[in-house]
Amino acid sequence: MQNDVRTRVREFLAPQLNGRTLADSDDIFALGYVNSLFAMQLALFVEQEFSLQLTPDDMEFDNFRTVDGLVRLVTSKTATAA
Amino acid sequence: MTETTRQGTEPTGAGTGEFHTRVALHTPVAGQLASEIERRLLFVSSQITGYELDTADGEVRGVTLRSATPLPADELTEKVNRVVDGDVRKQRTTPPKSVWTSSHDRVVEEGTFERLAQAGAVTEAGEGQVAVGEPLLSLLAYFDRAVKRILGEDFNPTEYRYPTLISTEALATAGYFASFPQHLMFVTRLHNDIDVYQGFQRSYGETGIDSTVLDACHNVDYCLPPTMCYHTFHQYRGRTLDADGVHVVTAKGKSFRFEAAYATTMERLWDFTIREIVFMGPREDVLASRELFMRKIFAFVEELGLSGFCEVGNDPFFGGDDTSARIWSQRLMELKYELRLTVAPGRTIAVGSFNFHDDLFGRGFGIDYGTEGTARSACVGFGLERLVYAFLCQYGLDSADWPAPVREGTRAVGGLV
Repeated sequence: MQNDVRTRVREFLAPQLNGRTLADSDDIFALGYVNSLFAMQLALFVEQEFSLQLTPDDMEFDNFRTVDGLVRLVTSKTATAA
Repeated sequence: MTETTRQGTEPTGAGTGEFHTRVALHTPVAGQLASEIERRLLFVSSQITGYELDTADGEVRGVTLRSATPLPADELTEKVNRVVDGDVRKQRTTPPKSVWTSSHDRVVEEGTFERLAQAGAVTEAGEGQVAVGEPLLSLLAYFDRAVKRILGEDFNPTEYRYPTLISTEALATAGYFASFPQHLMFVTRLHNDIDVYQGFQRSYGETGIDSTVLDACHNVDYCLPPTMCYHTFHQYRGRTLDADGVHVVTAKGKSFRFEAAYATTMERLWDFTIREIVFMGPREDVLASRELFMRKIFAFVEELGLSGFCEVGNDPFFGGDDTSARIWSQRLMELKYELRLTVAPGRTIAVGSFNFHDDLFGRGFGIDYGTEGTARSACVGFGLERLVYAFLCQYGLDSADWPAPVREGTRAVGGLV
């Protein structure tokens, strides 16, 4: 499950990397790979790709700034919904 | 759920001269976004003089607009819904997040501005414009000096005084037009041409001054500055900063933002004074500088015994295609913190903000840091009139009741108190 989520998150981020490497714990905003407005695209991606509804409690930056954070967000939401 | 749009304009009572127009939102909006609707309504139309939100079951269903003349209800319904749909509805709600709360809980009464006016300390000079005398002059000088002293404990700032006018090009580079058209203040003049001057002299003698004079004012190359940091970025444009740590620039100056429907108080001014500090350098250092200075300011506010708190905030972006995304990302990433002080029972005003821009202005103005590429930036701004006003709301006009550092500080700046 986690590996599948990780793969799909990485596929979504790939166009932003321009061939640069990205560790799962790298902050894509701090590295300048994306600008702040990309956060909205990430939220939409998570909701549409994984059929989830994000709530105000999910709106923590740590959920969006790294691959690990996104995987954690999706898997915890999926577990809650199951 | 879609509610049928209903509208109608009704006078509220014989002789009151006030009309109420109810506008329904085509679809309700989450109640947490109510303040985002409220802060935009007066910019929807200059005919709107006030409003009340129509809320039920935690949702905003519509708005009742107040006006001095009957409003075209269909047109206002379309406009309100356009603004709500574009700027508010798509915002994702984030829980309120406080990063500091004062341990002091002072009892604050209403009516401070009226008491200041009765004492001759303030005089309303126009919409959102207030003339100030003592003890406000001494307090303005004291708080400004205090902020600079605290800054100087950890940084070696360079200070400038900027011209009152800022070039339109600088604001365009900063992206101001796309973000905040509602606050914009152009400065113009009669276009330099003998025909224009003589035409103006003739028409002024015949009809006086009205908005047709703008036909003779072609020049829009300068504006009034909405804040000081744009001056700093414009000054540093195209430079490569030495890679020797965070560069700190500070300035104090008059700033201007049109806000609409000013109340007679100092809580919302059209013409006010900002002490601004800009940090430029590497990302982590800039972020750490903002955090360090912010915590020092909290300690200062605490030391003075003031009631208030600091929370994650957002700017009033207006009318742009990406307004919702900008507001949400600003809140999610905690790019802006607002220091709020109590001015009346249950009411606070923002007296300062701590903002991280990442590479936005470094990129826009072409400012680099050594060989590391684009400089990152943050700015901290204090609305000095608001800061002083909040202090007076909490401590009153009698300097004998003020905390010792403020009494001594106002004497040190040569004040009359």
